[in-house]
Amino acid sequence: MRPSPSPLAHPAGVAPSRGASFPGGAFARGRAPFARLAATLQKDPYFGYLLVLPLVLWTVLTIVYPLLDAVRLSLLNVGYVGSAGRFVGAANYVKILASAEFWHTTEVTVFWTVLNTVLQVLGGLIAALVLNQDFWGHEFVRTWIILPWLIPSIVLATMAKWMLDPTLGVVNYLLAKAGVIHAPVSFLGTPVLAFLTATLVNAWHWFPLFALMILAALQTIPKEVTEAAEVDGANYWGRLWWVELPSIAQVLYVIIFIASLWAANIFDVIWLLTRGGPVNATNTFPILIYYKGFQEFRISAAAAISVPLFAGLLLYGVWYMRRFMREGIEEAAP
Amino acid sequence: MTAVVKVTARYLSVAAVLAVVVLPAYWVVINSVKTLPELISPVPTFWPHTFTLQHYADLFTQIPFGTYFRNSLYVALAVTAITLALSSLAAYSLYRCRYRGREMLFEAFMSSYIFPRVLLLIPLYVAFTRLRIIDTLTALIIVYVTTIAPFSIWMLHAFFTEIPPELEDAAMVDGASRFGVLVRIFLPLTATGLTALGLYAFLMSWTEYFFALTFIISGPQKTLPLGMAQFLQDYSIDWGVLMASSVVIAIPPIVLFAIAGRWFIKGLTAGAIR
Repeated sequence: MRPSPSPLAHPAGVAPSRGASFPGGAFARGRAPFARLAATLQKDPYFGYLLVLPLVLWTVLTIVYPLLDAVRLSLLNVGYVGSAGRFVGAANYVKILASAEFWHTTEVTVFWTVLNTVLQVLGGLIAALVLNQDFWGHEFVRTWIILPWLIPSIVLATMAKWMLDPTLGVVNYLLAKAGVIHAPVSFLGTPVLAFLTATLVNAWHWFPLFALMILAALQTIPKEVTEAAEVDGANYWGRLWWVELPSIAQVLYVIIFIASLWAANIFDVIWLLTRGGPVNATNTFPILIYYKGFQEFRISAAAAISVPLFAGLLLYGVWYMRRFMREGIEEAAP
Repeated sequence: MTAVVKVTARYLSVAAVLAVVVLPAYWVVINSVKTLPELISPVPTFWPHTFTLQHYADLFTQIPFGTYFRNSLYVALAVTAITLALSSLAAYSLYRCRYRGREMLFEAFMSSYIFPRVLLLIPLYVAFTRLRIIDTLTALIIVYVTTIAPFSIWMLHAFFTEIPPELEDAAMVDGASRFGVLVRIFLPLTATGLTALGLYAFLMSWTEYFFALTFIISGPQKTLPLGMAQFLQDYSIDWGVLMASSVVIAIPPIVLFAIAGRWFIKGLTAGAIR
């Protein structure tokens, strides 16, 4: 994941192929121009370029071009898709940056991202520490912890709505039975509760992925290191704090980064559970952009929101990698 | 004594993690086979007292479930095939070939993965409308490959770099062409990695909702998550059918993971701990 050159450190020492070897000796001589071209294309550096070209083209057409087009659209006043837009300069940006809606969404997105990242990484860490023990059936459990992540977001939302339903939901039933609540709680009905509920549901979906990554990192710690700490008299928490966490710190930095970017990107669960409500309490940027473009039919306004979001995420990405991941990159470099 | 406490604590902690993971799924499965009165009774039963497959039968009579299923399957299979073709060639190039700009390309792919897909929504919608492929499954196939391909380079790393270069050298000495070595010798050796990647591509396209919601408008083009979502928003929710369709949608990913899960985890974690 880390954009470091390390995985490329051992390229195959493949010798450039000889022209005559393709596509098979004497027979090829009859079609010399084709054979020669084919032979050239299989030599360095052309072979490498040739193989990577399809994916490069695909990426340019579906990521680079759309991004540039988003900037163009943000300078027009296109309404619904297909209508002609007039050039309006920075008018869309002025309007958006002056709106309370934009800043409220920024706030909600930051809260959402931070809380989700904390819950997912912490949940992943706890699960990884538990599964890193020796127990009967560990192989099975370490594989199927992934179950929540395998569940499609639509099923996730259905499940949550069903379990949290004020009249039929099992959660309300159990809470009432335990005496915690006296009247049914509408988990998706009030702003704060809806925000927390959506966060929990989303964190449940993602934490197994991070648990697996952290578990893999924990297993790279040599047994002698933890045993040595034990001999030195460290208890469980001492070992965790002084030995295990420092050993996997670099992996944790990478995971926190990925988790935060993924969380900022979430649409499905929020839209299906709350549609950004109640009272915009769960209105993150993906929801706002979708809403502007496809409910209000203001394509240019939606594009104009995407551009500062992109800039913000880019700044965050650069800052984070410089602050937390540089060491790792330098260590990994040959 | 302390040994007993330790072992008990260990198994209790594992049981707690398992409960968090499994119980919600269990709840959906058992409720999908309860009869309607038991299902909507205010006092829930934790083990079904009644048993019916009526909700599963209703799937096919109440909603065009077969159409949605077919659409989803078509999209997922197409995305899997295209992703495998594009990424295996690109990964071979990035990990096994030598040329200028290779490291830069690798970093560019990795950053395009980090980069959020919501930014693509508006411009791609406009472009697809101009190309007249909005409201077709083709639009979904294109955008899914885009979101999956960069990660696939990451997934394949562990599998592609563990094969010794000498193997390719030896095949080349025997007179095979370089492309022949790649297709007939190298790729078969990375079959587990390609299977893991295929699983990921299938899973991602099978469950995707965001782009499907925006790019697909008419009923006959809907994928499963889309068809099911409209059901969830209805004024009077038919929980039985929703529970049954939840189970049916979740089965293919679970079956695929049972087959190729080990390799998927290997690809995923090797990328993270590298």
